[in-house]
Amino acid sequence: MHSVAVLLAISMSLLLAALPAVAAPAAQALLQASDRARGGGLPGIVWEIHLESREAQRVLEPQRLAVRAVDDASVAETLEPARFRGSKILQVGRNMWLTKPGLAKPIAISPRQRMSGQAANGDIAATHYAADYEAEWAGEQELAGEACHLLELTARHKRCTYDRIRYWISQARSVGVQAQFYSLSGKLLKTARFDYEHEIVFEGRRIPFVSRMVIQDALTEAETVMRYLGVQVRPVQAAEFDLGQLQ
Amino acid sequence: MIAARRIVALGLGLLLLAGVSVGAWPEVPESWQGSGDGMLYAYSQRSVLAHQSVLNPDNRIARLPETATTAEVRGQLALERDDLRVFLRPIATAGYYRQDQACWDEQELYLSQWQARLRPTPTVSLAAGRELLNWGPGQFRSPSSPLYFDNGRSNPVRELSGVDLLKLAWTPDAHNSLLVAWLSGSGHAGAQEPPRWRGTWLAKGERRAESWAGSIVLAQQPRRETFLGAYGQWSASDAWLLYGEAGSGTVQDLLHSPPDPEQPWSLQPESPRRTSLLLGAAYTLTNGQSLSAEYLCYGHGYSRGEAAAYFARAEAAAALAPADRVHALGLALRAAPDLLGRHYLHLIWQNSLLAGEGYWRLMYSHSLDDGSGEAALYLERPLSGRLSVFLMGVLNRGGTQAEFGRLIDHGLMLGCKLAIP
Repeated sequence: MHSVAVLLAISMSLLLAALPAVAAPAAQALLQASDRARGGGLPGIVWEIHLESREAQRVLEPQRLAVRAVDDASVAETLEPARFRGSKILQVGRNMWLTKPGLAKPIAISPRQRMSGQAANGDIAATHYAADYEAEWAGEQELAGEACHLLELTARHKRCTYDRIRYWISQARSVGVQAQFYSLSGKLLKTARFDYEHEIVFEGRRIPFVSRMVIQDALTEAETVMRYLGVQVRPVQAAEFDLGQLQ
Repeated sequence: MIAARRIVALGLGLLLLAGVSVGAWPEVPESWQGSGDGMLYAYSQRSVLAHQSVLNPDNRIARLPETATTAEVRGQLALERDDLRVFLRPIATAGYYRQDQACWDEQELYLSQWQARLRPTPTVSLAAGRELLNWGPGQFRSPSSPLYFDNGRSNPVRELSGVDLLKLAWTPDAHNSLLVAWLSGSGHAGAQEPPRWRGTWLAKGERRAESWAGSIVLAQQPRRETFLGAYGQWSASDAWLLYGEAGSGTVQDLLHSPPDPEQPWSLQPESPRRTSLLLGAAYTLTNGQSLSAEYLCYGHGYSRGEAAAYFARAEAAAALAPADRVHALGLALRAAPDLLGRHYLHLIWQNSLLAGEGYWRLMYSHSLDDGSGEAALYLERPLSGRLSVFLMGVLNRGGTQAEFGRLIDHGLMLGCKLAIP
């Protein structure tokens, strides 16, 4: 009887120990599937982003960007406003450069610059949360009447724009519907909501694709609306990310 | 020399082979796309010349304009298909200048840059044109570049012109690239100067890793020693960017200034090999502003004794006959090293280049050899989505026998730029 109880206790302990190991891959798989709807895990993505922002009552001038991205490399070219036309931000890993027509040479900028501007560089490029963040399943929650998985994401490396993210993934659609972005100190920086009115074909399957992202700053009254247009899933040549060929 | 050409030719062949073996175009529909835009600049500048300049007495040698009003259109035209791209950057400029009682005007239309590029495979591109082969993270100067030691970053309004070249680039992935170029001339600058870069071979390999990037440069000019250059940058943290550039080579037609002022100047067709090094660090604040500090050790600059002798000879030229004086001081200005001294500090404080409300930059360059310095402020403010106004002020200190005070005391530029269409 005693040995049966010991065996039972050991089995229970092993089961309990194994539980997080089962949950973690599931969380990571959820994340990977949701990434595709935001450009991650694809052979390459090309899109145009329209940004409209306001700070309290002040409406900022709208921006239009053409973005090409593959894995950890992206290049964002400004189309509007006209005075910035042709400016490009290149990011490869954590390295970032800025160039524009007439500039003597590309300027190396620090990773912190990716947080500047109306939307962070991490917001305008494709999303690779599955590669960039460690996911932990934190339960189920209903959001605007939709059942969601809640994941806690922790940055795997320094190139990540945010240190920690709380991410709500729709159970029915497998897409991220809301994210809260936190700093290393645990301070809430921004909240983002996502709409998926586009559709792309990937590996023979039609999947919903992000069409709109609304970012609300947690520290100020600023709000940015990003609309994604002209989405194309296609390979992007490596030369697009070659500093010597940015012209 | 012949061996170097063979190596470069072999490299070209290998690049082509590598590209052909790697590349297979995805099925993408081809269609031509054209774009055209530009920027109209209008600015006026006033320079107060150094009083009693030793090198430019009464502005009779350099003949620098005291006021200049310039209108300039800088165009940007591109026509491209997936594998072919033609790009033009024409510049039309008209200037009105005044120096003492003399006035004159100049007009010019030229191609600052152009390129016809073919990508026969996804990883290889072949290009002919006029390009800026300018690189490296240094702001003050770029010792890793054999072509653009003065990288043009000290004056945000100035635009550099490219060099004429044929270029082959291999980019197997986003993290690695290799280019080989043959220079056929000095570009627009070559129209006024001897074609210094004709026949130069250049090879450059670059690696862009996770948090660092680096490059090695090799350039071989006909009948000159090989130039070796390298640069690197490291994003040490979100806020810190550390970087460096180095170059080793010779300079053509450099004025040799013996430390003994009794000995005359002499023009060296090719200077001895010297090495230059720049080390820099930039810190970005949470508000997007950044602070940068750079130290440059310039190998071709004069020692303190040589610099003192340089100015002593210029002072002694006052006793020469007018024609001899013009010749001697003209040579002293034209053939002096790009920087007179060897040790420099350059500081920059600027707001984010991505800021929508405008851009400003405060710069200070300091010669650690003679103590002279140059402070410069650039301000740009948008008035609309197309129109911006800008201001640039420069203030030199150190006197007429020092690096930064020798020609201009201070200057001010005011202007506007309008995006077209």
